[in-house]
Amino acid sequence: MYKTGATVIKELLLVSRDRAGMLVLFLMPALLVLVITLVQENIMKTMGDKSTRILLVDKDGKSLGQTVEKRLLESGLVEIVKKIDGKKVDEKEAVEAVIDGNFQLCIIIPEGITKSVKAKARQVVTKSLSVDDTPAGKEIQRHDIAVYFDPTVLGGFRSAILNSLKLVTVSIEIDEKMKILSELLPEHINMTIRKEMGSFVPDNLIKDIPGIKLDFNSDPLLKVKENQASRDAFEKTPTSVQQNVPAWALFGIFFIVVPMAGGLIKERHDETLLRLLTMPVSYITLITGKVVAYVFVCLIQFGFILLIGKFLLPLLGSPMLKMGSDPIAVIIIAISAILAATGYGILLGTVARTYEQASMFGPISIVIAAALGGIMVPVYAMPKIMQEISVLSPLAWGLDAFLDIFVRGGNITTVLQEVFLLLSFFIITMLLSSVYFFRRTRNGF
Amino acid sequence: MCQPESLKMPITEKTEKYDESIKEKALVLKDLIKIYKGSSDPALSGLDISVNYGEIFGLLGPNGAGKTTAISIMSTLLRPTSGSVIICGIDAVKQPNRIKKLIGLVPQDIALYANLTVRENLRYFGRICGLKGQVLKDRIAECLEMVGLEKTADQRIFKFSGGMKRRANLAAGILHKPRILFLDEPTVGIDAQSRNMILEKLSLLKETGTTMIYTTHYMGEAEQLCACVAIIDEGHIVAEGSPKQLINRPPGHAGLKDLFLALTGKRLRD
Repeated sequence: MYKTGATVIKELLLVSRDRAGMLVLFLMPALLVLVITLVQENIMKTMGDKSTRILLVDKDGKSLGQTVEKRLLESGLVEIVKKIDGKKVDEKEAVEAVIDGNFQLCIIIPEGITKSVKAKARQVVTKSLSVDDTPAGKEIQRHDIAVYFDPTVLGGFRSAILNSLKLVTVSIEIDEKMKILSELLPEHINMTIRKEMGSFVPDNLIKDIPGIKLDFNSDPLLKVKENQASRDAFEKTPTSVQQNVPAWALFGIFFIVVPMAGGLIKERHDETLLRLLTMPVSYITLITGKVVAYVFVCLIQFGFILLIGKFLLPLLGSPMLKMGSDPIAVIIIAISAILAATGYGILLGTVARTYEQASMFGPISIVIAAALGGIMVPVYAMPKIMQEISVLSPLAWGLDAFLDIFVRGGNITTVLQEVFLLLSFFIITMLLSSVYFFRRTRNGF
Repeated sequence: MCQPESLKMPITEKTEKYDESIKEKALVLKDLIKIYKGSSDPALSGLDISVNYGEIFGLLGPNGAGKTTAISIMSTLLRPTSGSVIICGIDAVKQPNRIKKLIGLVPQDIALYANLTVRENLRYFGRICGLKGQVLKDRIAECLEMVGLEKTADQRIFKFSGGMKRRANLAAGILHKPRILFLDEPTVGIDAQSRNMILEKLSLLKETGTTMIYTTHYMGEAEQLCACVAIIDEGHIVAEGSPKQLINRPPGHAGLKDLFLALTGKRLRD
C-alpha cells in the first residue's frame, strides 16, 4: 500500500507537470463539449428541435395577423420577434435580417389580408348557399402570407414551419367561413321558407328562427399526444447538452491513453522501469499506482466537464445539464469508464514499441471507437451494420449508461450490463498487458 | 574472484572451487548460459564469475559481448537459460524478490523522471525500497551531499547538465544502501570533473563495504577502480584477474586497453 501510494504521488506530480498532457486531459474535452454543444444547439434550431426565433412583419395590423401570431406561438415551434433593436421592421429589413443569417425565416402578413379574407369568405359562403348559378359578384383578390427562409434551414424544419402555417391559415379560413355561415344561414333559411311557403308562414315564426353559432375550432374531435419512451417523467427529448456532455467527457477520459501510454513507454526507454524492476516492488504495485492516479485525475476531469454542462453552457444559451436522480450510478459509470480507459492505456503503452506508435495509434483508435460509440453521431442515426458494430465500442457502453441515467430516467440496476462490460474490458486489457509484458521481459527489454 | 593470472579455466575446475566457497562470496555466477528466443547464438555461454564482498569487479568487453545480459541476469531482470546466480548466498534465479532487497542498479541511461526534482526522484525510489520518515529524509540528504547535488536538489532533472544527471543517477542507485551495486557504464558522456567525482565516490562506497559490478568502456577507469576485472567476449570470459596481473601477462601490455584490443581484436562491433 505504501509503495502504491508512493507511485500514485509520483504519477500525480508527473501529470501535473506535463503541460501537453494537461491540455489533452482538460482543455481538449472542455473545448469539445463547448464547441460541439453550441454548434449542435444551433443545428437543432435549424432542424426544428428547438424553439426558433422568427421575424413577423404584420403589414395588415388587423385580426388575421394577430390570429396567425397567436396560433404560431401556441404551436411551441417558434418564438416571434417583431422588432429589431426596439424598432419595428418592415418587409425589406426582415428579408435582409434573414439573408444576414440573423433569423432562420420571416413571415410577412400583407396589408389588407383581413379584409380580403373576410370578403372572400362571405363570397364563398354566399355562393355555396345560393341555389342558382348566378355569379357571386366581382372576384376578390387573394392576399398570400409570404415566408422567406434562410437557405441553410433544413428541409424537415422548413416543412414543419410551412405545415404549421398551412394549419393556421386553414383554421382561420374555417373560422371565417363558419362565422359568415352562422350569420347568413338563418337569413337564408328565412328566405327559403318565405319563398317556398309564401303567405302561409306566420311572421312571428320566421322571426323566431334561432341564430346558429358554428365554432369548429374550439373543441377538436381528435388530438395527437406526444410522449417520450422513458422510465421517468422527462418531458422533452435529450438536449444537445445531455447528449454531448457525457459523450465528450467519455472521449476526454479515453484520451488519457495518450499520456498514460506515453509515460509507460518513456519509463521503458529511459530505463526507469528497469531500475524499478530491480527494486523490491512488484510490477502489479507499480501499475496499480498508475491506475489509481489516473482514476483520480480523470474523476477531476469528468467533474470539470459536468460543471461546464451545469454552469457554463447555460450562460452561453444552452440548456442546463440534468443528471438524473442517481448520482451514485453516475460515479460508478464514470469510474468503470475510467478503468476501461486506463486498461487500454496500459495495454497500448505495453504493446507499442515507440512513443510515436502510441501517439499515432492511440488517438486514431479512440476517434474510431468514439465514432462507432455514438459520440459524434447518435447510434440510431447510423446504418444497421454500423449499429451492430457499435456495440463493440467501450465508449458506446459508457455513453449508453450515462444516457440511461441522464435521459431515460434509469438507475444503477439499469446500467449494470454496461458497467459489467466496461469492467470486463479493464480486466481483459490488464491481463493482456501483463501477459505481453512478462513475455517481453523474459526475453529482455 | 580474482585468481592469479587466470585465463579462462575449464568450467569443471572452477565450479568445484565455487561450491566450496560459495557462501563467502558476494556474488557467484556458475556456468551461466543465456540464449535469447529466436537467436541461435548464445548471449552468454558458460559465464563463471566470483566476486568477494567489498570488491569492485570490472566487467569489460566490446559491444555485444554479453555485459548487459550478464548485469540483467544478476540484477534479476532476466532469467538465464541455465546456470546459477548466487548473491550473498541466495539463489537469485529462484528467489529474485529476496535479492531485490540487496542490490542496487545504476543503469547506463539516466533512469530518473526528468520532470521531477532530484529530491522527488530520490523520495520516490526510496519509498519503493521501503524507506520511510526520517530515515528516508536522512538518506536523501546523505546521498545528495555525496554526489554534490544538495544545492540543486529541488531543480527538475531535465534542467541538469549531463554530469549532474549522472550523479543523480548514481544517488538513486545507492539510496537504500545496497550490498551489491551494479553500475552499467555510469560515466558515459560526462565531463572530467563529474567523472572524477563519481569515481571518488565509488571508492568511498567500496570502503563502506559495498560490492560493485562495474561495466565500462573506459579502461583507465577499470584500472583505477577495480580490484579485479574480467574481459568477456562472445558470452564468455577471455581474461580475468587484477588489472596489474592482466597487463603483465606475457608478452606484456602497455595497459588494459592494449590487452583488451589484443584479446577482442580491432574489428568494429556494432
